Amino acid sequence: MEDDRLFKFRKPQWLNSAWVRNSGVYGAGALFSLAFYVLLDAAVWSKSRLNGSDVHVTFVDWLPLIFSSLGMLIINSVEKARLSTDSFSYSGNGVAWKARVVLFLGFAALAGGMAGGVTVFVLKFVVPGVGWPMMGMGVENVVANGLVGLSSVVLWISQNMEDEYSYNLAL
Amino acid sequence: MPTAGLKTIIALSFVLAVGFLLVILSCALWKVYYPLLVVASYVLAPLPNWICSRCSNPDDFVESSGNAILDLGRFCTGFLVIMGIALPVVLAHSHLIDVGAMVMCIIGGLLIYGTIVSFGMFFQEEQEF
Repeated sequence: MEDDRLFKFRKPQWLNSAWVRNSGVYGAGALFSLAFYVLLDAAVWSKSRLNGSDVHVTFVDWLPLIFSSLGMLIINSVEKARLSTDSFSYSGNGVAWKARVVLFLGFAALAGGMAGGVTVFVLKFVVPGVGWPMMGMGVENVVANGLVGLSSVVLWISQNMEDEYSYNLAL
Repeated sequence: MPTAGLKTIIALSFVLAVGFLLVILSCALWKVYYPLLVVASYVLAPLPNWICSRCSNPDDFVESSGNAILDLGRFCTGFLVIMGIALPVVLAHSHLIDVGAMVMCIIGGLLIYGTIVSFGMFFQEEQEF
């Protein structure tokens, strides 16, 4: 197990504890919640009295977040153990291939959501030259999609820790 | 872990009362009753964890589906806890509630949630042994 690692630096020992793993999952939920409320903040601010302009948050602004969340759902629903065919492939070759295709779709949705956030920001806020307090709505859109990406990274890493952890326990 | 005696119960209920006092005061002083939503989110926060721990079998290491549903519960709990902090900030940013109400509401909500968590910790520990 120690001999066939790929990189020079080994993973620190504290990463394998169940406590770190659980707090990683809690943290992923927290980051996702933060993303949702950042975009909700933009929508509420857009309808409040503070917004004097006629730039408003519409359904188009929500679409990138919907796509990012869908991508995150797909990525984290895939069973990670089915991805590695070269080690102990009791599941056969076809399952790993399907898992990779589904995972690709998930990453495409996540990256598409982020790109969509930047697109909305550029086309709706930068190009028409919207002033600053209104520009915040577009910035919040980009930030929300970035937070969804960060959340799925944290969730992915802490789910990969699970294998090591259960392996150590099984020994 | 010391045994959860009478002093613990009194202290916890005192903290819970202070938390509710802060949240209700933050609503009533400005006569805007949106911050009461924070109480609902904090009361709901331990619920997904609780339900999912009933559904799964943590002793099962062969099949990892038990761990996945535990993770789902933890994810939802993290979501609801941050919701309790983010909701007053969103409301205050749009001037729907005052900044003072936001601060009081966040502190009160954290006190309520801390009470719920420590109550669960004390009394789960006692049941196990």
